[in-house]
Amino acid sequence: MNMNFNLRDWGADIWERSNRPKRVGLVLAFIAAAACLPFLGISFLDTPNASYSAVLVHPIAMFVLMALGLNIVVGKSGMLDLGYVAFFAIGAYAMGILGVRYGWNTWEVMPIGILLAMFAGLLLGFPTLRLRGDYLAIVTMGFGEIIRIIALNWGGLTNGPNGIAGVPMPPAIFGQEFDLVNQKLFFWVVLVMILLTIWMIRRLTVRRPGRAWEAIRQDEDAAELMGVRALRYKIWSFTLGASVGGAAGVLFASKNLFISPEQFKLNVSVLILACVVFGGIGNIWGVILGAAILGYLPDRIRFISDARMLVFGIVLVFVMNFRPDGLLPRKKREKAIVKKGA
Amino acid sequence: MFDVLLNQFWQLTISGIALGFIYVLISLGYTMVYGVLRMINFANSEIFMWGTFASVVVTERVFHFTATTEPAKGGKLLLVLALCLIAAMLTSAAVAMFVEFIAYRRLRAKGVNRLATLISAIGMSIALSEGMRMLTNSRPVNVPRVLEKTVLFNVGNAQVRIDNVIVIFAAAIIFVLLERFIKLSRMGKAIRAVSMSEETAKLMGVNLNRVITLTFAIGGLATGAAAFFYTTVYEITKFDVGFTMGMAAFTAAVLGGIGNIRGAMAGGIALGLMETYSAAILGTQWKAITVFVVLILVLLFKPTGLFGEAIQTGRA
Amino acid sequence: MSEHLQKETRDDAILSLRDVTMRFGGVTALNAVNIDLYPGEILALIGPNGAGKTTVFNVVTGVYQATEGDIIFNGERLNGMKRYDITKKGIARTFQNIRLWGDMTALENVITATDIHKKSGVVGSLFGLPRARREEREGREKAHEILKFIGIDEYSDRLAKNLPYGVQRRLEIARAMGTDSKVILLDEPAAGFNPAEKVELAATIKKIRDAGYTVLLIEHDMSLIMGISDRVVVIDFGTKIADDIPSVVQNDPRVIEAYLGAPADAS
Repeated sequence: MNMNFNLRDWGADIWERSNRPKRVGLVLAFIAAAACLPFLGISFLDTPNASYSAVLVHPIAMFVLMALGLNIVVGKSGMLDLGYVAFFAIGAYAMGILGVRYGWNTWEVMPIGILLAMFAGLLLGFPTLRLRGDYLAIVTMGFGEIIRIIALNWGGLTNGPNGIAGVPMPPAIFGQEFDLVNQKLFFWVVLVMILLTIWMIRRLTVRRPGRAWEAIRQDEDAAELMGVRALRYKIWSFTLGASVGGAAGVLFASKNLFISPEQFKLNVSVLILACVVFGGIGNIWGVILGAAILGYLPDRIRFISDARMLVFGIVLVFVMNFRPDGLLPRKKREKAIVKKGA
Repeated sequence: MFDVLLNQFWQLTISGIALGFIYVLISLGYTMVYGVLRMINFANSEIFMWGTFASVVVTERVFHFTATTEPAKGGKLLLVLALCLIAAMLTSAAVAMFVEFIAYRRLRAKGVNRLATLISAIGMSIALSEGMRMLTNSRPVNVPRVLEKTVLFNVGNAQVRIDNVIVIFAAAIIFVLLERFIKLSRMGKAIRAVSMSEETAKLMGVNLNRVITLTFAIGGLATGAAAFFYTTVYEITKFDVGFTMGMAAFTAAVLGGIGNIRGAMAGGIALGLMETYSAAILGTQWKAITVFVVLILVLLFKPTGLFGEAIQTGRA
Repeated sequence: MSEHLQKETRDDAILSLRDVTMRFGGVTALNAVNIDLYPGEILALIGPNGAGKTTVFNVVTGVYQATEGDIIFNGERLNGMKRYDITKKGIARTFQNIRLWGDMTALENVITATDIHKKSGVVGSLFGLPRARREEREGREKAHEILKFIGIDEYSDRLAKNLPYGVQRRLEIARAMGTDSKVILLDEPAAGFNPAEKVELAATIKKIRDAGYTVLLIEHDMSLIMGISDRVVVIDFGTKIADDIPSVVQNDPRVIEAYLGAPADAS
């Protein structure tokens, strides 16, 4: 337990003591290290179903991406979104339909998928985000299911329960072909998306939107009375979270090559939520760690594979009751005096 | 499209009302807990689902009914039905108390934010449904027929079956009993005191933990009764049956004004009818959408529901 | 007496409550209350517990919608406005039970309040547009200025929840000032203070007034009120029973009765 605290403080310390060039160096080093992951080839990490390079993309990197997106909603502004899978599904179906029917490639669909997901977020958010937290949770949960039911029953558009097969892989970039055996190119694409998401979160966190979210999360009434337009910033948070989900969905479809309503059940939302909660709500590094662990372990350990949702459910209860801050807490450090929490 | 609705109007109305009464009882589980905690009992759907399996276990394991067994008659019929009902009610009540103890109590004592409690409750809900999924290998379970579905009489061209009648009457009786209990008994008064003001109730010497546990238990009893009726009418259950039923019952509770017990009655029946009619018009696969649209519309235009209870913002 | 005459004829009120009535179900919390707040004054709002003082604040700031009557600010009717719009017009408040954002630093608490008049939003912040960067810098500077003005700048990097109680109370005032509102409503700012702290706070409130703010103050401590208020309004059971300069109000038999009728009221 203590080790976690020290680890966080240790990282924050280095960051705070560094000047700008040093920080840029640190960031570049971090990115380079992450980009080299596919070359490590640690076969120990292979799961029964997939090789190391595949595991790295899905579940690990994909889960990290989606968890970061959900964290904007749950962690930053404190709203419980249980229908995150809906945005993922919208992105995936955008890719499936536009890719198979109209021959669009992944990069062309990407902005469309993101916009559609954001639009869906807006559509859902506008009537519901003024409601109190638990209503939002149940409505979003219903929404996730609705999207799946539409995918299941609107056969003309989605091919119903049979799903859409033959979704095209992304076209080559810089002469490099995408490859399902060695997925390092996929990994780099997801990595870029993760980095963009982190960039977005960090940018917004230290500026006005981040403060507004933080204020709303802690005391919405006080926030409104101090001039924060709560609904507007909640909708922003919701749609930005949705955009990440949509992007992840587009990529998922063109990596998996096949999508069907079965893949977009409530389970996915809960799973991503568990990643966020387990790692540390609101803390980017915690979320990344949580998603990597919870995404990976159940695939690796056969015993957990079948019981994974059971385990995740228990993780949610357990973490909330005994360590609500998760592995890496968000608690900010104080620069001047480090004092034990009051 | 509307032909089906017109041709089968009375048939649909009867099954809609029967379904509505099942919703009424489940929505009590939401409404009661909401009344005292000002929180949605997220696991209520799984409390319902466990109740349906309790009813199945009693018919299959205690009375050895199978798919080919003749439906029971006379005294045995009453005995089996009564025991199934009691088993479902007690199981659901026990699960509800377990949920309260594991997912809510500790967090309430710590007074942490609502988000944590919500997530804890959702985790509990997932664990309960997954536990059952693993026990049943993800398969739906057919409920052996105990009650011969005799047609009692006709209304227009519609047949009124005995199971519908039993559901409607029994559910109404249970509803009235619970309502009276909450109105008149000492514990019921304590529950109402807590739902009005937790602080005042505490000052007046109400044991908060006990009242809250009891509230979950009563909500569980109602939900369990609904579970039994569900198995009697639909004769099938599955680990994920709670999701749609729970969503609909929650919508019914909101429609009637959550926290308001009589509102739950009206909301449940209204929703049962709406769902059945719309299924006839649009097809059953869109049933869930109807429920969802109703929920959104109510929250959007009349968030206090038909019979009122401020829900939009918490106690300021 | 001349004071009285002057009061009757003034028509430059910055904030006015006109026959404001607030009912909750069958309970009348405010009954046709008239209050005028004139620019540059410190007006104290006093009355026994439960008299409806905080309700006045809640009605003015849009937490509640007045059942009847008008709230006029700079000639504009505030009834029905959103809470953040009212604050943006220039009325900010503090809370009786401190409601800072505990997980933010003192500085961030104030910066968040200064955000109200900023033009740049999500897009500007995301792409670091020049205006967003400038506004961020200005907000930070302004927040520091305010913290210095209130005398708690040394705490700017501490999390609000870890601040000493007295500093938290002052930070609430700083946060309200951060919204650039010229009318500040203080809800029992001296609650829980010892005599020395109260003296210090009185000086701060005067300083705020002298800097061009108008202060409406709810307070229980009579010596504090009599020392700094320009005028005192007394309400009891939701009705205004006195409205005058402190020395007159102090000797008003109705006021004395209201307070004697509610003894042991010293919180």
